[in-house]
This record gives sequence, structure tokens and C-alpha cells, in this order.
Amino acid sequence: MNKNVMVIGGGPCGLEASAQLHKMGYNVILIEKEKQLGGHLAKWDRLFPEGIEAKEVLQPLVDNINGVKYFLDTEVVSINLLDKEYNVILSNGITVLSKAVLMTSGFDLFPAEKKEEYGYGIYDRVITNADLEKFFATGKDPRVVENPKRIGFVHCVGSRDEKAGNRYCSKVCCATAVKQACEMKALFPDAEIFCFYMDLRMFGRGYEDMYLKAQKDYGIRFIRGRVSEVSETLEKQVLVKAEDTLSGKPLKVTLDLLVLMAGMQNAKSGIRIGEMISMKRSDDGFFTTKGSILSLQECDKAGIFYAGACTGPKTLPDTLNEARAAAVSIHNYFNKEN
Amino acid sequence: MDFGYSLSPSSRIDLDLFDRNRFNTLAEIEPDVLKCMACGSCTATCTAGKYAKNSLRSAILYLQNGQDKQALEYLKPCMLCGKCFMVCPRGINTRHLILSILKIYNNAK
Amino acid sequence: MRERIAGGYDNFVIPFMIGIIFLLVYLFIGLIRILKHVPGEDRKRLFLSFVNPKIIIKDLRDIICDCLLHVKIFKRNILLGYMHASIAFGWFMLIVIGHIEVALFVPQRNGSLYYPVFYRFFVAEQNYTLKGAFFFFLMDFFLLIVLGGVGLAMYKRVRSIAMGMRRTTKPCFADRVALYCLWSIFPLRLLAEGFTAGISGGSFLTKPVNMLFANFFGNDLNIYPTWWAYSIALGLFFLAMPFSRYMHIPTEVLLIVMRNAGLKVTRPRKGFAEAEIYSCSSCGICLDACPMNVQKKNINYSSVYFIRFLRRHNTRKINEIADKCLMCGKCVVLCPVGVESCNIKMAQRGTVTEKLPYDYSYLQEIHAPVKEKKEKVLYFAGCMTHLTPSIIKSMQKIFEAAGEDYYFADSDGGLCCGRPLMMAGKKEAAKELIKKNSELFMASGCETIVLSCPICLRVFKEEYRLPGIKLLHHTQYIDSLIKEGRISVNKDDTSFVYHDPCELGRGCKIYDEPRNVVAALGELRHASKEKKESICCGGSVGSLTLNFDDRAKITRESIKALTVENPDKIITACPLCLKTFSDQSMVPVNDIAEAVAEKIA
Repeated sequence: MNKNVMVIGGGPCGLEASAQLHKMGYNVILIEKEKQLGGHLAKWDRLFPEGIEAKEVLQPLVDNINGVKYFLDTEVVSINLLDKEYNVILSNGITVLSKAVLMTSGFDLFPAEKKEEYGYGIYDRVITNADLEKFFATGKDPRVVENPKRIGFVHCVGSRDEKAGNRYCSKVCCATAVKQACEMKALFPDAEIFCFYMDLRMFGRGYEDMYLKAQKDYGIRFIRGRVSEVSETLEKQVLVKAEDTLSGKPLKVTLDLLVLMAGMQNAKSGIRIGEMISMKRSDDGFFTTKGSILSLQECDKAGIFYAGACTGPKTLPDTLNEARAAAVSIHNYFNKEN
Repeated sequence: MDFGYSLSPSSRIDLDLFDRNRFNTLAEIEPDVLKCMACGSCTATCTAGKYAKNSLRSAILYLQNGQDKQALEYLKPCMLCGKCFMVCPRGINTRHLILSILKIYNNAK
Repeated sequence: MRERIAGGYDNFVIPFMIGIIFLLVYLFIGLIRILKHVPGEDRKRLFLSFVNPKIIIKDLRDIICDCLLHVKIFKRNILLGYMHASIAFGWFMLIVIGHIEVALFVPQRNGSLYYPVFYRFFVAEQNYTLKGAFFFFLMDFFLLIVLGGVGLAMYKRVRSIAMGMRRTTKPCFADRVALYCLWSIFPLRLLAEGFTAGISGGSFLTKPVNMLFANFFGNDLNIYPTWWAYSIALGLFFLAMPFSRYMHIPTEVLLIVMRNAGLKVTRPRKGFAEAEIYSCSSCGICLDACPMNVQKKNINYSSVYFIRFLRRHNTRKINEIADKCLMCGKCVVLCPVGVESCNIKMAQRGTVTEKLPYDYSYLQEIHAPVKEKKEKVLYFAGCMTHLTPSIIKSMQKIFEAAGEDYYFADSDGGLCCGRPLMMAGKKEAAKELIKKNSELFMASGCETIVLSCPICLRVFKEEYRLPGIKLLHHTQYIDSLIKEGRISVNKDDTSFVYHDPCELGRGCKIYDEPRNVVAALGELRHASKEKKESICCGGSVGSLTLNFDDRAKITRESIKALTVENPDKIITACPLCLKTFSDQSMVPVNDIAEAVAEKIA
């Protein structure tokens, strides 16, 4: 019997699911559109809450897929259902017939330039969370000046924002901001650091401790107010306007660096594939799962499975758990069919 | 029991003073009043706020706390420029909300 | 010619006489009412206009072009224009020739209301005499023209799209009565005159009708019933007219005269506004124009229904529609009568909002900065532009490239221009801001103000008194920089489409300068609706109640119209449009200043 499983997306989710399915004896075909495996994780430096290096997590995930067939720099050209099997044509010319397709297409970071009032791509001193991770990893970014005196973090950029088209919370940005704020303070001990938040969502284990440490050990100043506009001073610094809602007064502050916590949205590449076989998406743009509690890994189309951030913002542990859950769901699906 | 402290007005918010009927009337005319999550974007970007106390966020809060008169004071300097409408993450129709509050609470004590 | 009926009277004229007398009395009272409600100053202006030869000539030209020939409708759709012109002009000529005939041949009947109308009944003439041949020919000729128009009108009821209208208005009861009367008047006239042609004479149209029917009936018994029917149709039409859309026929003349005298809407229902309201022909061109009508549920918010509710004094509905309108002005520029419904809506909003409290005492604390240097050019970005920093940055780059010595007036934010308040109906409050801003600008000693926000530009042009200061939108300024060679841009093969912001295009009539600039950058492509027909971006501060989702639908429709020729980029010239489009568009959107700054040589 054909035990092919097509896994679309070689991020941590795709890697973990492939490894599990391979162990269960399935013939996994994993594709990744980039030239390397790992997705966003490969571009990240450290992970909250403890600050583990991203490499330390990614390496075992990559090692575990030994024996899995994977193609890099490869996209789906077409996908259609042929008598209970999906016929997937890949950009490298290979055609795969597979009974189950697992979408681990993940998320795109919200393009921060869309919130023009924050000046990303317009002002020299505005970067995103992803840019900052790259800076941590390489130590290089022309936008980060030497010894910045004041640094600001803006939470919820492109999340909880109707104007950006994303009403939902992206879940991970609050914790990421606190983590990055602490790292910046460690790098630049003289800097004053401000986090502009609407609500701090420290829901996970160890997150609240991280928040406490940020206050106590790093002296991060948390300001409850959303940044509404950013302008540039003659010295090329950025002038940030927000309301300190707790004191009920508008405030402004001049910063040497502003970091935008870009949120998550369903990956464009995943949406493109979803549209080929009209997988349903909800108002928020993410794929609709069959149920909202019991069948989170299934699509209402038989044979299509989901795991990870393509069905909504998720933390890395959430994602890896879903990857394993999806492997089990696929296994059950094959067993039921026979 | 009365300990004779009543001369100095309490600074505590008294939710018993909240005028529910009037607030419901407002919510009927402009349901967006219920959507505010108090992020403060409107106040931060406010053109009038540079010169005077003007805050839609505060005004909504005052209304909900039964302090109608203060609410009005926080809206009177408004020039209706519409910047708050552009920045509101909940897409609240701020200009109509401001006009509606002024209309309904105009005779607030 | 000789009088056929001694005494020159017959009972069948009674329905006509009742109708016409009722109508004349109604019009007279209406006129007095309107004049009474016009502010004294405006009334004086109106009377003075009657002795100003320039205005008189303009009045006459407008009346002939708009009321008789319907030039504006011709420009929109030839068939629709012909339909209107043939009925209006044809009928007008029938009336005029009727009166000439009376004056020439039966002068003793001069001044009689009915005689010229039923001329063929009362007078007999041989059609082979020169008089008969000429006048009877003319009368038949114009009757034929009108009949052609009526035929088209009937066809339009069935298939309006043939005349370029996707939607037409739902007629109310009085409209229907008047409409059916209007349809029947001219066929009945043809029959009446046809039956009588054997006795009174006729021409190429009425004679054959006479012969045709003479063969059928062989007697003259049909003469009376048809003349009665014709008279009843006319009488009913006149009776129904004040309550129907056809009231626009007489009112439009008054509107033209008042408008040319420079009158403005001050109250939403009275005075000049009343002339506007009754001039609405309910044609429904505004239905297709209104950007809100991308959703069917919003059709009832169109200007035509707003005016209908005004006529019916339905305050709840009036306020609802007035508050919803985006004030994009498209229905105003397309209106064949030129009803300025936006102004009426603003006045209507004022009835509610003018009373609301405001406190601008802080204005007293604001003083013009003391500057050593007096720059000739002042840049005023406007409130909204501070949310689109790319425009400000690009303008700064352009100023520098042109070597302009300029002063950025609101670098740290300024006062609002007052236009949003005016649009909300708060005219008095707006005046305070206008006064303060004018003071600040006059104190700056500048010669030119360059503005980035069309909303500001419009109110600056319409309401500010800034003697000696030239007002330019940045599109105009950049265009002049390029023309004068002060900056040069690198042209490449990028394709652009230009979106006309409502306040810049329809509001300030600036259509060509931005297009010149865009054409200097690359290839200028067309939108399916552009210039004065451009569709609002949906972000307008004009609407008070339109919610976010409804606005998003308008935005999508506007983007659809812009991208029909698949341009690489959408170019706009208003911070509000830029922000609104950027949120939704798949095609990149830039302000014109950004596009220029990017390609500056």
C-alpha cells in the first residue's frame, strides 16, 4: 500500500511531524520553499522564557529527520484530488501521490511597513523583532547605533488591529518583547528601555517570572499605552507619541532605537496552496480546523491535516506538540482507511 | 452611622452614579462605544491634546464611572480632525462617538 | 386664420385651467416663501444680479443650456440627453409658437391662458396658405420631436441601461400620476389635433392621422372626447406637479438665477436650500454615482432619497442620510441640475451639532513663533499627514533638491484646518480655528503655502482670507518644480494609475497637475472611473456614521476601479487615501511625493 505523506513546510513543525511519521513507518516527503530547513526558527537567536539558543532546539529537530526525503527550494505547483489520493506536482518536476497532506506552512511576520505611522522603512532607527534577532546573532545592523541611550519596544504591531486587518492577538510578541528588552539591557547596560503595551499577556509557564526579572533585574519600564505615531528629529532620533493610560496623560519620548513587535499572519505561501484546493480560511486569515477543540489537526477535507501556526499564532512548544498530534491523527486516518 | 466626614466629597468612584439608561441610549446611537479597549492611541495622537486635556479614552471611562461632567470636559477641546479615527485599532467611529456623547450628555450635571 | 368657435371658449378647457391656475398660485406662494427665508444680504445680492448684464447673460445661457437643451445630460449619455432635450425643448417651442400664433393671428385672445394651448381647436386655417403651411408644419414638427422623446422615456422605464443608467429611482405616487399624465399628454394632443385637422387644418403629422381615423370612424364625434382627455391630462399633470419630481422644471430656473447671484445654502430646508430641493428631478444619476451603493442596502442613502425625505419633512430619515454621507461630492458634480446636496447635508448636520458644547479657549495661548528669517515658502502638512511620515519625508527631500528655502509650519503638529468641523456641521466652531490659523499664517510673512492634505487645501481656498498668499497642493508645487527645471526626475517604464482624492479633484478641481507629474515618472494608465468620476477611497472624514466594514467595501471597489489596467503602482495625493488604500491594496500604493522623491535625479 502507498504510505506516502506529503509535508508542506520545513520549519520546526514540519521537521518534528516528519520525524514522527517516519518513525511510524510512513514514507514522508517534506518540502521547503527556502534554501534551508528551520523556517523562522533558523533566523532567530534565542528563545523565551529561559533564553535558550535557537540552534540548540533546531539542531536536534533537523537531526531527527534522518531518512526522510526532503526537497529544499521547492514549492507546490499544483495539488488536486485524484480518487482519494492527492496528486501534488512540485516545482522540481517531481509528482507525489499521497493519501495525506500535512500543512505545516506556518506564518509570515506582519509586514511592519504597513503601519506607516511607525515609520519602518522610512526612519533610520526603526527595526522589527526579526531584525533585532538578526542583530543579536550577527552583531551587525546599521540602524542600531553605538550605545543607544533609549530604546523602545512597541507591542501589537499588526496584531489586535482592525486597521491592519488582524484583529487577533499574535500570542508570542509580548513574551518576545520582554525577552528582547532584557537582552538589549544586557548588551547596553546604560540604556533606558521602554515597552509600550496594551495588555501584557504572560500566560505560559515561566513567562511571569521573566516579566518579573525584566522589572526587577533589568529595570525595564513598562508603559501601558499603544504608540500612535512616530516622527523623526533633526538628529535622526525617533520621537514616539503614546498615552500613558495609567496616568491618563499623553506622553512623548525621544529614542535612539524603536523595535516593532511584528505579529503573525497566515503565510502567503500556505494560503496559495490552500486556494488550489479551496481549503477554508476563517476571518482572521488562518486555516479553519474541523473542530475548535477536539479536531484541531484535521481539515474538513479528508486527507488534509494541519499543524502549527497555519491555524493561528502559536508558541514553539505549542507548535511541536501539534506536530506530534498531527502525526497521530494521520496514523489513525491511514488505519481507519484500511 | 455618620461620622461627620461628609463635608469633604469622596474621591472614590461611585458606580452607583452610573447612568445606565443614558449609556444604553449612547450605545444604541453609536455601538462603537462598547468596543474601546483603552489603548490610548486616540489620546496620544490627538491634535487638540497637545494644547488641552482632550481624551476620548478618558471620556468613555468617566462615562462608565458615572462622572458624566468630567467626560464632557475631556471632549470639549476636540477639533474633530479625525486622526483618532485613523489610528484606533478597533476601528471605532470616533468622530461620531464624540458628537453622540456631547449630544446625549450635553445637560450632564 | 379665422376663429372657428365664437367667443373663443369651450368647457373642455376647464380641467386645464384648474390645473394651470393652481400651479401658478402654488409657484407664486413658493417663490415668496423662498425669498422670505433667504437672508437679507442674499436677497439683496439676488436683486442686484437682475441689473448686472454679465449675470443676466450667464442666467440666460444656463437656462437655455440646462433647462431646455440639457447639455450636461448630453455629455453623460447622448440618448439620455436627447430624451430630455426633445421633451423640454420641443414642449417649450410648442408653447412659444402657440403664443406667437395667437399674437399674430388672433390678437384679441392675447393673455388667455388656454387659447395658445388649444389653438387648433379654436382656429381654422388652410394648410396650403403660407401661414398655415409654415406654422402648422412647425407645430407638427415639434410635436413629433416631443413624441419621440416620450417614446424614449417609456423605453427608459423598461431598460434604463440603454441610456447609461444602471439604477433609476423608485417613483412615488405623485411621480407616477405626473409621469403617466406626461406620457399621455402628447399622444392625446396628436389625436386631438389629428381629429380636428379635417376642420382646422394640419400638417405632415396631423393630416395623415386625420385621414387614418376618418377611414375608421367616418365621423367627427371623437373630436370632443380627445380634446377633453388632452385637457384633463394637462390639468392633472399641473395638479400633480408640485408634489412630484416634475417640480424641477419651474424651480430649476429659479435655482440657476439664485446660484448665479452667488447664493449659498445656510439652512437645510429653507431659502436657497428649498430651491435646490425642488430642483431635484429625481433622475437617479446620483444612485450610480454614490460610492456607498457598492452595497445594495445603502441605495436608500443616496442624495435623491435624501431630498425626497426633505420634501416630506421626515426628520429621522433626513438625519440618518445626512450623517451617513461621505461628502465625496460625486453626486454633486454629476447632478444634471447641480443640486449641492453635500451643502444641504452639512447644514442639516448643523441643526444637531451646532448646539453641542465646545471649548477652544486654548487657542488664545497659541502664538506665532518669533522668527528672524522669513521664509517665502511655508509647508503645512496637516493633521493626517503626520500619520503618513513617508509624505513628509519625501516632501522634505523634494524641498531640499529644489533648493527651496522653506519653513515646516506644523513639524510638531498644528491646529486642525476646520474642514472636518465644517463637514460635521459645526460652522461656528470651525470659524474659530479658521480665524486662529489665518492669524498664524499672516504673521509668518510667507508668500506661498504648500499643503499636503487636500482636506486642508479645500477649506483654505473656500473659507480662509489670506491676501497675498498663494495656496498650492504639493502636486501643483511639484509640477511647477519639474516644469521650471528646479528638480528633474528619472523616467522609467513603471506604470502608474492616479487616484483623484475627492477633496483635491472634485473639491479643488485639480486634475491635471498630478497627472503631469506622474507622466514624468513613468507610464500613466487609466482607471475605469477617474477625474470627476473617481471613487472615494472610503476613508473620508465626511461620513459620521458609516462603519469600518462598510468603508472597507468601498475601498475595495475603488481599488478595483483603479487597477483595471494592471498598473505597477497606485499613486494618490492625500494622506487619508494613502492610508486607507495601503491597508487593503495588493498593488503598492504611494503618495505622489514619495514616487517623485524616489526618482529624483
